[in-house]
Amino acid sequence: MLKIAIVGCGKIADSHAEQIRRIDSGRLVAVCDREPLMARQLADRFGIEGAFSDLNEMLDSVSPDVVHITTPPQTHLSIAKLCLDSGAHVYVEKPFTLNVDEARTLLATAERCGRCVTVGHDDQFSHAARRLRKSIESGMIGGNPLHLESIYCYDMASTSYAKALLGDKNHWVRSLPGGLLQNVISHGIARLAEWLPGAPTICATGRVSPALRALGETQIVDELRVVMTGDEGTTAFFTFSSQIRPSLHSFRVYGSQGSLELDEDQQTLIYRSGTRFKSHAERFIPPVQLAHQYHKNLFHNLWLFARRDFQFKSGMKHLMESFYDSILNDTAPPIPEGEIIRGTQIMDDIFHQLSAAQ
Amino acid sequence: MNFTIPSETSPMISSGVSLLGERVLVTGSSGFVGVRVIEALARHGFANIRCLVRHSTDTKALEAVIAANSHRAAIEICRANLLSPADCVRAARSAGIIVHLAAARGEKSYPDAYLNTVVTTRNLLEACIAAGGVKRFVCISSFTVYTNGDGGAVLDENSATEVQPHLRGEAYCYAKTKQEVYIREACEKAGLPWVILRPGHVYGKGNEGISSRVGIGTFGMFLHLGGANRIPLSFVDNCADAIALASYHENSPGRIYNIVDGDLPKSRQFLRSYKRSAKAFPSVYLPKPISYLLCLLWEKYASWSHGQLPPVFNRRMWRANWKSVCYSNERLVSELGWKQPVSTPEAMSRFFSSCRESSSK
Repeated sequence: MLKIAIVGCGKIADSHAEQIRRIDSGRLVAVCDREPLMARQLADRFGIEGAFSDLNEMLDSVSPDVVHITTPPQTHLSIAKLCLDSGAHVYVEKPFTLNVDEARTLLATAERCGRCVTVGHDDQFSHAARRLRKSIESGMIGGNPLHLESIYCYDMASTSYAKALLGDKNHWVRSLPGGLLQNVISHGIARLAEWLPGAPTICATGRVSPALRALGETQIVDELRVVMTGDEGTTAFFTFSSQIRPSLHSFRVYGSQGSLELDEDQQTLIYRSGTRFKSHAERFIPPVQLAHQYHKNLFHNLWLFARRDFQFKSGMKHLMESFYDSILNDTAPPIPEGEIIRGTQIMDDIFHQLSAAQ
Repeated sequence: MNFTIPSETSPMISSGVSLLGERVLVTGSSGFVGVRVIEALARHGFANIRCLVRHSTDTKALEAVIAANSHRAAIEICRANLLSPADCVRAARSAGIIVHLAAARGEKSYPDAYLNTVVTTRNLLEACIAAGGVKRFVCISSFTVYTNGDGGAVLDENSATEVQPHLRGEAYCYAKTKQEVYIREACEKAGLPWVILRPGHVYGKGNEGISSRVGIGTFGMFLHLGGANRIPLSFVDNCADAIALASYHENSPGRIYNIVDGDLPKSRQFLRSYKRSAKAFPSVYLPKPISYLLCLLWEKYASWSHGQLPPVFNRRMWRANWKSVCYSNERLVSELGWKQPVSTPEAMSRFFSSCRESSSK
């Protein structure tokens, strides 16, 4: 069984601790935060033996097999290097690093140390996302995707994180090269990075929404639209918005024979066939087929719920499990390195364009 | 955490020197209770008051209070972030009394609640200890720390508090329990006199919600769960008055005080009056055996399903909120001589009036 440790005991660390508890191949043995009280509260609530405020001390005394890095992204590279050098594999929360150069350095360090790395793009491992991957790989849409659309929204009015960010001009998120976007859009971009081949060209526009401006905010870009073109002519649209409702987290993949539509919040996957019915039949039969698909999604979700595998962070559990299995069985990691680099590069390009436009 | 909780001291141990001449620092001073506390402190005779607010806080209400009390006291606003030790040092400079109201109320995440309640308290306490001139640290805690599980007919300051607060499924309870433990230990160690005040449900203009001890509207319909229970209400002006009194009274150091009003209404009386005088809405009464059973089932299912449903309803939570018990402010009255400024019928009448105003907007 793998010995697991967490560095950074903030909000997301709770989700990590909860999901690690559900996995048979790993045991959470230590937590670390430079604020000793934060380390102690996590250890206290989850009954973890080790609580540290010094990372080196934790690595020396516990020798964890895997370290989950859940600190702000500015620290990911330096912490990951320390962990990799100590012989631990690392699971890095999103966003992976501050930029693509750091991402390359981190992956090169892992290569040199012979250790594995993954990034916390757990939405890609939710039940519906795994079904989507399987469907595309089975040829359901007619080969490789031709066009992709990823929408990732964030409701600034309903989270304490947004309140903290808007209220604190020195919040760490503001010092990221991409600001709020860098901390939030990773999940939406990662979906595109998985299916968009090569090094896509980017055209991005962003702005501070009128709603945020009315609150006196002038720096946080909360409306972003991006058009991308991949090496083989595959295209993609990316939308980030804090204003549109419903606050969607969806992904559409279009192929030559059909398309798939994933709703991450509802955990539904809908297939739209490229075949058209004649005359008025096109107006009656597809709605019935869609209703049937929604029913199937409902029963599938109920089945998952009955099996006790429908937690809100079940994607995280599946990503962790796959990562641990790849370590134990010496197989390919769940997220290929090229995909991590591509996602980081896309984000870098977006932020460069936004900053140039400003 | 293996803290040893220092026991309360007996009352009447203070030097007896009046503290009204000291500068008092109030954290959370722009909040619902905070602005009333500033007003009460000025009314009780404090001449120097420093109001700590966050950098981003809207201070209109606070500024109005400052203007209205400018003939009584010099009141200044200090913008600071309690997560910054340097800000805490600046805020605590030349302060003689700390009234610590700021806390992460309503926060659902345990780390966030803890960070904004316990870590901030640690920063403030360390700044006070380093400053050296602080004579009293008054912390505003909450009734949430009580288990109400020890079988007593009256819940008072000697009643049991949560030993494993993380099992309540309520981040605020966890943070507040840990905050109290931290304050008592750190103050005892530094020889800094402490006072802990535990208000019940503070109500009044600005907080028009119905206490969860009466019932909850989580499932689309208001479920009345309190039944014949007394509700531990504290009208905001009464609560502020008690806080002001305890912050300088010679008997309060080393003591814990519950802040509840007298003549408390029963849950169903309160709900009936609310519907009649403020806003009518449908509700369903859930008898206690049924609500207990549902909480038990929810707790078991949350555990069995590895958190597929969050463990927010459980037996500890049921006992703390809906188990029948009486509340006492006897200690506050007998040791500090507190007299409730606004009678409960008058307080409820003002409350319903503000509810009507609020719903008509």
